[in-house]
Amino acid sequence: MGLVILKRVIGSIGAIIGATILAFIIMRALPGNPARLIVGPLATPQAVASVSHQIGLDKPIFTQYWLFISHFFEGNWGYSYADGKSVSSLIGERLGATIELALFSFVITMFFAVVLALLVTYRRRPIADRILRGVAYLGFGTPPFFVALILLIVFFKSLHVLPGPEGRLGLQANPPPTVTHLYTVDALIAGQFGTFWASVEHLILPGIALGLSSFSFIVRLLRANLLEISREPFLTVARGKGLRRWTAFRRHALPNAFLPTLTVGGLVLGEFLAGSVLIERVFNWPGVGSLVFDAIVKQDYAVVQTFILLAAVMFVLVNLIVDLLYAVIDPRVRIPVVATA
Amino acid sequence: MSGPAPMPASPPGDSPGASAQPALSVRNLSTVFESPGRTVHAVRDVSFDMRPTERLGVVGESGSGKSALALSILGLIEPPGRVVGGEIRLGGRDISKLSDRALGAVRGNDIALVLQDPMSALDPVRTIGRQVVDAIAVHEPELRRAAARKRAAELLREVDIPQAERRLDDYPHQYSGGMRQRVAIAMAIAHNPSVLIADEPTTALDVTTQSQVLALLDRLVEQHRTAVILITHNLGIVSDFCDSVAVMYAGRFVETSGVDHIFLSPTHPYSEALLKCVPNPERLAEGPLPAITGFPPDLSQLPHGCSFQPRCPVGKDIPECRGQTPQPHTVEGPSGAAIVECHFAEQRIGEVKV
Repeated sequence: MGLVILKRVIGSIGAIIGATILAFIIMRALPGNPARLIVGPLATPQAVASVSHQIGLDKPIFTQYWLFISHFFEGNWGYSYADGKSVSSLIGERLGATIELALFSFVITMFFAVVLALLVTYRRRPIADRILRGVAYLGFGTPPFFVALILLIVFFKSLHVLPGPEGRLGLQANPPPTVTHLYTVDALIAGQFGTFWASVEHLILPGIALGLSSFSFIVRLLRANLLEISREPFLTVARGKGLRRWTAFRRHALPNAFLPTLTVGGLVLGEFLAGSVLIERVFNWPGVGSLVFDAIVKQDYAVVQTFILLAAVMFVLVNLIVDLLYAVIDPRVRIPVVATA
Repeated sequence: MSGPAPMPASPPGDSPGASAQPALSVRNLSTVFESPGRTVHAVRDVSFDMRPTERLGVVGESGSGKSALALSILGLIEPPGRVVGGEIRLGGRDISKLSDRALGAVRGNDIALVLQDPMSALDPVRTIGRQVVDAIAVHEPELRRAAARKRAAELLREVDIPQAERRLDDYPHQYSGGMRQRVAIAMAIAHNPSVLIADEPTTALDVTTQSQVLALLDRLVEQHRTAVILITHNLGIVSDFCDSVAVMYAGRFVETSGVDHIFLSPTHPYSEALLKCVPNPERLAEGPLPAITGFPPDLSQLPHGCSFQPRCPVGKDIPECRGQTPQPHTVEGPSGAAIVECHFAEQRIGEVKV
């Protein structure tokens, strides 16, 4: 077990180093001089040189890389060229919105994927199965921003049942007192149930838009795995012992069928946390994705580079956790086969 | 149609248990697997009785319905399959009409199952101990965890797992194939079932392990006075292990008798053909090992009349065999009685020598 953890941790560190090198190279390979971008097109060569010196562009490449990563891990992410605020405070004030949306979307994605996969496998509903496969096919193939627009047209514009693209709360409610930066949780802590409901309402459409394609993938994976595992002889053996069908299914089919889903779930959570740029844009969601979108438009390069690295680190960490969980669940990963008589 | 006359798989009178109530009595059991436009008749009108402690070998080619029969008896046929008729009496009690929940109390308790492939018969992500404890606890819910674990260790010792106590916490991948099959047997005998169905329990094992596992099974069923249905295509195992044999072809028991009869004077042409496919050193000079020509019939499109007729050296192209399904004939041969589903049963009895 210890060896497995060590291997995974070393692998993760390697992946993060790889990501920093990639980010570093890409930034330096992009056309245009960052110093020139900062000072603007009308600045004198002296001004460009001075900024170059200030941000260390005249130092040897290895020194530059070292400064780059040590600053990153110290949390010293520099200042936005657009409005002079520190990148850490900019990202910090947006992070809560992104995390709340990602977690909400992840929870509904997993919940519906598991429930529907069980419905069509354990409960054997052939018609529901066909519908589900059709929806999953469409959901997997449709770009999330397009799904977002369709959802808005149907549920906001036509049916008026859910709020439109107005961020986390809209204009009617005020943000609850900050504790966790998650409005739903903070509203509950403060006992503001109206605010809680408003924040849930505002989460539904972006949550579905963000999660639909992952849901489609996971539900198909889970369905196929459950069908495959339920044909395994050990299920027949369990039934032969006298276990009820559901008990045998819960004890034996679910843990085995969930293993591949766990891996995918990790990837999906990482993706939700890092990759909701367009969805946040469509719903005016004040998260990190919107920040990055604006930063790209304004060529606000300190913000973009920090985001890329943060996303990479987060992705690697989520997957490290998944790998460790995998080892906890699957003994074949953590205990090597010992030759036995 | 009416079922064949109830008759023990073995001729009566040759054992003290013969007059007692049968351990298992199956009448007209039929199972189909249905898909749109296709119905596979996997088990067709099978009837037999088993005395307590009797060992019945069920032999036949792959796809002859042997495994479907095992699952049908246990009520474990899953959709699209279903048992369409018949009666299964276990110790006098009809279990074929029981609900799944009520059957749960019977399975693993009065009737147990061992499957072919020990590699896939155990859940890879659950410890051996927990899986054995599951088998114990399901019928003894009041048993405390520690007591169930102790009992699990005893069971593993009973099937000769070395250091049983310590190896409870191992996972299946840490056990060898033979050991896994021992665990499967331990789980099956946990509650002293009166009937054990072993579906090719040794087919996936190497020859040495095969004989060890068979010896273990032999010892345990002797001790526990368990009746065994041994499904196999290995006739050697049948002659060593079983008292009686049912030859299964296209979902039916085409010949049922004591072992002596089958090996000395098989009456159904299929039984005879099956026996001739067993390598025999004394017949090496006669040339290559014969094979049964043709293929088993498609169970969704069975031939008219006798299912074996298209491949039968005796009945091929005989109108009677093509036109009428042979009914079970009870015949008395030189090495005991048999029930044979063949129009030529009486004619062939005693005639065939292998």
